[in-house]
Amino acid sequence: MILCFWFSFRLVQVGNLGLQLPWYFLQIIVSAWYFISVVGNLFESYFISLKKYKSLHSGKVRYLAIVIESEEAYQISKVVKLSQWLDSIGVKNVCLYDMNGVLKKSKETMFQKLKNAKSIEEVSEVVTLHAPDHMTLEFLSYLDGKEAVAKAANLIFVENSKRHNLGGELDLQILLEPQMNKALQIVGSKGPEPDLLLVYGPVRSHLGFPAWRLRYTEIIHMGSLNFMRYGSLMKVINNFTKVHQNYGT
Amino acid sequence: MFSLRLPIPLVKTPPSSSSYSPYYLCPFHDPCQTRGLIVSKRGSATAKCHADVTLRHDRVSFAGESPDPFPAELAAEMMPKHVAVIMDGNGRWAKVKGLPPSAGHQAGVQSLRRMVRLCSSWGIKVLTVFAFSTDNWVRPKLEFDFLMRLFETTINSEVQAFKREGIQISVIGDSSKLPESLKRMIVSVEEDTKHNSRLQLIVALSYSGKYDVVQACKSVAKKVKDDHLHLDDINENIIEQELETNCTEFPYPDLLIRTSGELRVSNFLLWQLAYTELYFNQKLWPDFGKDEFVDALSSFQQRKRRYGGRHA
Repeated sequence: MILCFWFSFRLVQVGNLGLQLPWYFLQIIVSAWYFISVVGNLFESYFISLKKYKSLHSGKVRYLAIVIESEEAYQISKVVKLSQWLDSIGVKNVCLYDMNGVLKKSKETMFQKLKNAKSIEEVSEVVTLHAPDHMTLEFLSYLDGKEAVAKAANLIFVENSKRHNLGGELDLQILLEPQMNKALQIVGSKGPEPDLLLVYGPVRSHLGFPAWRLRYTEIIHMGSLNFMRYGSLMKVINNFTKVHQNYGT
Repeated sequence: MFSLRLPIPLVKTPPSSSSYSPYYLCPFHDPCQTRGLIVSKRGSATAKCHADVTLRHDRVSFAGESPDPFPAELAAEMMPKHVAVIMDGNGRWAKVKGLPPSAGHQAGVQSLRRMVRLCSSWGIKVLTVFAFSTDNWVRPKLEFDFLMRLFETTINSEVQAFKREGIQISVIGDSSKLPESLKRMIVSVEEDTKHNSRLQLIVALSYSGKYDVVQACKSVAKKVKDDHLHLDDINENIIEQELETNCTEFPYPDLLIRTSGELRVSNFLLWQLAYTELYFNQKLWPDFGKDEFVDALSSFQQRKRRYGGRHA
């Protein structure tokens, strides 16, 4: 009886061992694969700016927008560093957005640290027409999005009602896309449609970035600002230069 | 862009080992000279004429199908209420398989049907699909005419199935350029399904995000003109109330899925996507099945959803 019990106990032990070994083996394989991929990404980030992307056509990114989650936007030094990286890559026109306007409030501090940068308000020409020698920065918050559209619509209505009071007919057809574009420029949404939008933060949404300007923008989630890497930025811009858009055709 | 450029299989199709019916209407020929495409197993297509062609409409065969069981890896209480989809990649799918574009669109329809069934089974209340963009108007007139006829026949064939399954149909977009017969059909199908409440399928037809904002502003302007609204009262909430997606109880998508690896919203629901989780998938639309949808929903549920610092 005892022998039988001992034998069955040993059998269970052997069975458990037989199950545990493949499980541990699988864990080792998964861990090794994860480690290799992390190390690979790390190496790619550090060496990415060497031979592979020396001939990066950053000129295709005429206007780049960055959305930063408001809590992360307080890390001004990181945002400055990010802007410097973009400048060194050759991206000269950048729009910085956070929902609560943290970056807008800190723009003086940023301009002190970015000697080569100018505000979009100072630039008279259309920013994307040519690559300037300086960097052009636009600062936006939620107020420049939906609220700006409401202001622009209001402006069009006011202009229209003035004409109406002067004896003209109130024309509803006046409200077309070109009129809205023009009105948005007047109310302060001066920048063009970004070619590329990078989202930094835990959420994978554009957090209310001016919708009117997102028609054909490539949107890429970059993860937290805390883990931003020069190599990742280079990689994203390089990938963007290979993108083809057919605009509905 | 998935533009419902769907082939309609013809009657009396010979048996085929392929999963797709081998005869298709060719979208680029005179409607009076209806042509079919015979696709060989190797994928080479040869045109073949048919006289007196009768169309058979593939129906959404929800009836008799058991509802898809709710996936164990998803939490029912965290399901999105509103899912929007940019169904992209039908043409590329067909090209990869050596098939004509029509086969890709046929496969795309199957994928949409599958999606409707899954949403209906899993408690998603609204599914919005981008069928035809205002940016697609640049396509040739012949193709446009074919598409419009196709929308009509497709809508016509699905009505009964949708009524049976409790699916409400709403069509949004600029209807001014659509053929009168299609406009009448849209009004009719919306009326026939308006009391259905299991799932609302919103089809964006001749739609763009900018168009939606402009038409909303025009509606506001009309209210100002008719003295129903004062100029000083105009704000984003007033404009929001006039957007076309207000045909639903949940006008803002919780999740946007775009297939085929493209990373943009292509002028779709621009205003409504402010806090929408964006999910871009490499698969081409016809290959986007149940597993991929579960992945998208799982990803949506795992993400930390925060509205500018305020927890959702």
